[in-house]
Amino acid sequence: MKVLVPVKRVVDANVKVRVKGDGSGVELANVKMAMNPFDEIAVEEAIRLKDAGKVEEIIVVSIGPAQAQETLRTALAMGADRAILVKTDETAEPLGVAKVLKGVVDAEKPGLVILGKQAIDDDANQTGQMLAALLGWAQGTFASKVEINGDKAKVTREVDGGLQTIDLKMPAIVTVDLRLNQPRYASLPNIMKAKKKPLDEKSAADFGADLKPRLKVVKTEEPGGRKAGVKVKDVAELVSSLKSAGVI
Amino acid sequence: MSAEQRVADALDAFRHSLDNSGVIDGNAPDAVRYLHDWTGDYLGAACAVLRPKSVDEVQQIVRICSKYRLAIIPQGGNTGLVSGTVGNDAQGTIVLSLERLNRIRSIDPTNFTMRADAGVVLQSMKDAAENEDMLFPLALGAQGSCQIGGNVATNAGGINVLRYGMTRDLVLGLEAVLPDGSLWQGMTGLRKDNRGYDFKQLLIGSEGSLGIITGVEVKLFPRPANVETAYLGAESFESAMRLFGMARRICSDLLTAFEVIGSECIAMAKLGNPDTRPPLEGDWPVHIIMELGCSAAIDGRVLIETLLAEAFEAGLLGDGTIAQSRAQARAFWAIREDLVEGQAKRGRHVRTDLSVRLSDVPRMIDSCRQAIASDWPGWQPLAYGHAGDGNIHFNVLPPHDMPTEEIAAATPRVLASLYDIVRDLGGSFSAEHGVGRSRRDVYWDWLTPESRQLMKAIKSAFDPQGMMNPGGLMPD
Repeated sequence: MKVLVPVKRVVDANVKVRVKGDGSGVELANVKMAMNPFDEIAVEEAIRLKDAGKVEEIIVVSIGPAQAQETLRTALAMGADRAILVKTDETAEPLGVAKVLKGVVDAEKPGLVILGKQAIDDDANQTGQMLAALLGWAQGTFASKVEINGDKAKVTREVDGGLQTIDLKMPAIVTVDLRLNQPRYASLPNIMKAKKKPLDEKSAADFGADLKPRLKVVKTEEPGGRKAGVKVKDVAELVSSLKSAGVI
Repeated sequence: MSAEQRVADALDAFRHSLDNSGVIDGNAPDAVRYLHDWTGDYLGAACAVLRPKSVDEVQQIVRICSKYRLAIIPQGGNTGLVSGTVGNDAQGTIVLSLERLNRIRSIDPTNFTMRADAGVVLQSMKDAAENEDMLFPLALGAQGSCQIGGNVATNAGGINVLRYGMTRDLVLGLEAVLPDGSLWQGMTGLRKDNRGYDFKQLLIGSEGSLGIITGVEVKLFPRPANVETAYLGAESFESAMRLFGMARRICSDLLTAFEVIGSECIAMAKLGNPDTRPPLEGDWPVHIIMELGCSAAIDGRVLIETLLAEAFEAGLLGDGTIAQSRAQARAFWAIREDLVEGQAKRGRHVRTDLSVRLSDVPRMIDSCRQAIASDWPGWQPLAYGHAGDGNIHFNVLPPHDMPTEEIAAATPRVLASLYDIVRDLGGSFSAEHGVGRSRRDVYWDWLTPESRQLMKAIKSAFDPQGMMNPGGLMPD
């Protein structure tokens, strides 16, 4: 079985994001970028499935600018077999991305698509679900455990108030949550080897899709600062101020 | 006038000059945290802890101390490791904490400088610089609680000395209250100024023995947008030092850190944090954390990959990884921090802060390990540190069951055998931790007669009454 892992290049999770002066978005120039941490978990899971003999080939795909190659190389260094870059300078939106991914799935015929539950830049949490709908495949979202047995995938999902285990008919889409695994480091020899692994550059049109924006960003602004607190003398004052604030 | 009366009168005068929370009685529970040193090994004494809120209040305190013949121990974040601010004279000493002088005065983006009160916490300076897209490079384990005045007074080092120098190299201006209560102004912010003696350089590293630093002006740098961090495994310290030379050349001197960790320290990191997991395959005797920083226009990744490929070819490296995100880089650095935590958990032990010429680093570590193995059976050496600066923390853990008194009694002898090795190599027993009280005698012992003479002359020129931090740096 082939497995397809879509990965997104995003602002590094540990960078303090700044809003652009004109409010059109966030500052991306001179900012450290990295693989979306949820996608990293998806890549790790694919590698573990391969190590367990459930998967023959891992294909990683990224939709983004030329520099998204670096993100793909990271995935290759971790252990993916080959990569596809769908190059675009447009902002990647979930629906556009899902349509391109559908094209990639049609071309590559993977038995499983595994990806992050959301990207930490726009936090949309839509791509996996949209792709499942476009393909008419089963989906298991927010996975904290994945087991593949023949044409069934057993997925444990993190839901409000607990865990839910579902059986999916393969082929299927799995979106992964934080607790699924701890991604490995890419070792130096593997970083070097990854440079020689195949990386195909394509366009959205190659997959019969387009990425032109369907959404318009009206305004981007920072969250309002936290208001200064007040000190109260005693419990009585605390209760009365909570009451006057309408909290209790 | 009796000593008690003198102290009582002085305390009255302090209370008159400062607000309520500005004066803490030396016997009060609140005073303990100013009297204890960071290691917890020593508890000092003082008649009061004073917390002025302005430079003017510092001057008033100094005048009162002069009048009532009280000695002054200036104190910052109290994170020092050499008992520099631990006095023991409950009747004749006050601790002067600068913690309430904590305002960042200004940032000049054109001059690439920042002015700040002495009590500003180092991390706040770094954050303020980052908000202006600049870097204040001083970086050390205690940065969340140490204060810039203390950093300057002790000429602090840390992990970025490699690229940016010690605190001494980062200061462009100082302001200090002298022992007569006058205010010496030297906040020039000038990068070039060769008029005569450079008094600020005398105050830097003076450990509170000449005056009280109240304000500083420090250099800022462009913030490196592109930071690459690698965690590497090598066969020996010899290979590590050769890798360092290669790294300087290939990475165009953009290295900001080059840390080595003897593999025996990893057990300490695991003691500090059971989840610690070095990102290496196999057991490598020496672990290396290397970091470089550059602007976004330079491809740091290409530099570091070129270096590591060549180092592999040359057999200098066994295994390693390059951080693919800041989260991974932080995990590498956490190993370095965890091993310090682990040692603290292990209890009292022998700590050093040795420096030698870069070419002597492997030899020094070998000799120190041999000395411990032959003379101190059951004691366990740990070697790690800022190899790129020739600075190794060669620490020694006592046997597990040894009583504290026995450890304390053995410590000076363990140190002496290590110091002998460093002295023979022409090195220093204090690369970055300072002299304070705990290393005062060895410091004085190593000084040449000419240096001692100059020390005394400088001390009496600044502080003829001998009221500044007595017992620190030089014999009473």
